[in-house]
Amino acid sequence: MTQDIMSGKLHRILVVDDQQDLRLLIRLSLRALGEVAQAASAEQALGLLHEQAPDLLILDVWLGEGISGLALCRQIKDDPRTAGVRIMLLSACGQQSDIAAGMAAGADYYMVKPFSPEVLLDAAKGLLEG
Amino acid sequence: MTAHAIQPATTPHQPATPATTATCAAPIPANEAQRLQVLLDLNLLDTPPDARFDRITRLAARLFGVPTALVSLIDAERQWFKSRVGLEFRETPRSASFCAHAILQDEVMVVRDACEDERFAHTPLVQGDNPVRFYAGSPIAAGDGHRIGTLCILDRVPREFSEEERGLLRDLAGIVGNEVAAIELKIASERQRRSEHAVRALLDHLPDGVLLVDDSGAIVSCNEAAERLFGVPCTTLARQPAASLVGFEPAPVARREGSGRRADGSLFAAEITIAAMPLDGRTHLALTVRDVAPYRAEQERVRAANERRHNYFRTASHELRTPMASILGFSELLLKRDFDAATGRELMDIIHRQATRLISLVNQMLDLARIDSGGAAQLHPAALDLREVLAKMQGALEDPAQAARLDLRPGNDVLRVFADPLRIQQALHNIVSNALAYSAPESRVEVALAPEARDGRAGVLATVRDQGIGMTPEQREQVYDAFWRAGALPDVAGNGLGMTIVREIVDLHGGVVEIDSTPGGGSQVALWLPAAEGGAAR
Repeated sequence: MTQDIMSGKLHRILVVDDQQDLRLLIRLSLRALGEVAQAASAEQALGLLHEQAPDLLILDVWLGEGISGLALCRQIKDDPRTAGVRIMLLSACGQQSDIAAGMAAGADYYMVKPFSPEVLLDAAKGLLEG
Repeated sequence: MTAHAIQPATTPHQPATPATTATCAAPIPANEAQRLQVLLDLNLLDTPPDARFDRITRLAARLFGVPTALVSLIDAERQWFKSRVGLEFRETPRSASFCAHAILQDEVMVVRDACEDERFAHTPLVQGDNPVRFYAGSPIAAGDGHRIGTLCILDRVPREFSEEERGLLRDLAGIVGNEVAAIELKIASERQRRSEHAVRALLDHLPDGVLLVDDSGAIVSCNEAAERLFGVPCTTLARQPAASLVGFEPAPVARREGSGRRADGSLFAAEITIAAMPLDGRTHLALTVRDVAPYRAEQERVRAANERRHNYFRTASHELRTPMASILGFSELLLKRDFDAATGRELMDIIHRQATRLISLVNQMLDLARIDSGGAAQLHPAALDLREVLAKMQGALEDPAQAARLDLRPGNDVLRVFADPLRIQQALHNIVSNALAYSAPESRVEVALAPEARDGRAGVLATVRDQGIGMTPEQREQVYDAFWRAGALPDVAGNGLGMTIVREIVDLHGGVVEIDSTPGGGSQVALWLPAAEGGAAR
């Protein structure tokens, strides 16, 4: 399937989204890249982050109540222990100002919903290999 | 009228013959137009006798021993007597007038014997039964020098008039002139008073406050708007430094945004314009103070409305894109990858569910827009028994298991409300749906109706009570925000527009919606509607 699998290298990916359907969509889209874990909230994600040490975080900006995706992104990038984790922000808000705010929070990539699973896969590969 | 009184040969308006009249008419003075205007402005013509002038003519008649003394005013076509001793009529044609000649010169005009004077020999006054033979007249000058008439004396016998007598007549005419000057002064001062009154009235009717400030910065006077704005009478403002009212040392400025300080210390947003104004040789300042609070409030209202609209569309776009992400994402996966039958079916199910959610969201958004823009005009209100609406609402719930969780307590004493039945059913449906969704599947939801007066108005209170997860005080406010959803149960269906629509509907009906809730302690949503005219529905 992919070069990674052929080279035997499996990545660890963590998907954080409050919507169950979206988590499933992302898992199905990215499963070729490796293990895909999931969290429904920022709080849950923080626990898994230390437990699993993922290479890539697919993070929804709007997580309902509690810590927002943007705040979590900044927190991870500000912490030397987790700063190396690649972060792709995912949001239904796609205005220039939204994207700028995401990049300012330290994100490595900003993907606007709705998205094509193929494009998501390509972007994730780019982040993992770059 | 004395026995010596002079009688006219004919009535004054009918001169003996036009031919003779024409020969004796006096020339018209060069400044006639202005002279007539001065006379008219004095407002003396055709007015009742006045003691101020009568005592002078009486004096003149006695002093010179003549039967007739007159104050004669020369109008365009006539001479009119403001005061007369020994003469029956009030006016004669100007063409027959001695005085019309007298006003052409500065000196006293004397006609020793009118029968021997070509100018007057053929005039009616000289031709009559009791004719005028002697005339002496001294012109009366108004303040600006225009000769408006004469003080004159007449006799029926010819006589001499000495220099001394001319001097006396001139002096008496001077006294008449003084009386005229006094009248002019009074008229001018009245005109001045009216003009000042008009300026004052104009100032006091200006919507902006106006302050007059002297060169030391102290207030000299102000208008009524300034009294209203600063909350004190002008007498209190006078002599206060203007800086204490506007917060800066006044200097000429086209327009300055600032604030005014009222007497009680409170501030109001103001726009201040200051103009330099020379007055009595010193530079004063005219301050115009405009209260811009209503304008600012309107600006703020528009800004807030724009921000709300912007946020609404931003959130709406987010809410529409979220189900689209599932629909497009899963359908692409199904098209491009192979799945076993069960997984494929599961994905199709998600697509269907999200598409259903999308169309329901679109419908609700359109409905909200309709309610929001249509106002009360879109309603079809009728006198309504809420018990019937409640029963219909329960019957319309799609899931019979959910409908069975409702305990309806309509009561026996319910007033009719005047409302749109479909909209009220929609509002009750939304409230009840939330109660069912955010509480345990086996728990009961109670809906009660009871009469309740608010602010002296009769009405009906519908109360929906659940034993669900409840709400924090913040959530009780947020629940009305478009697209806001309680996050604790993420898998509860809904789009966050239910309570927004409830609030819009209730507002349109002049009602109230209230939430009483604590986290974990269930929620109670009360909907109050004003009663219809005509009382209870039993």
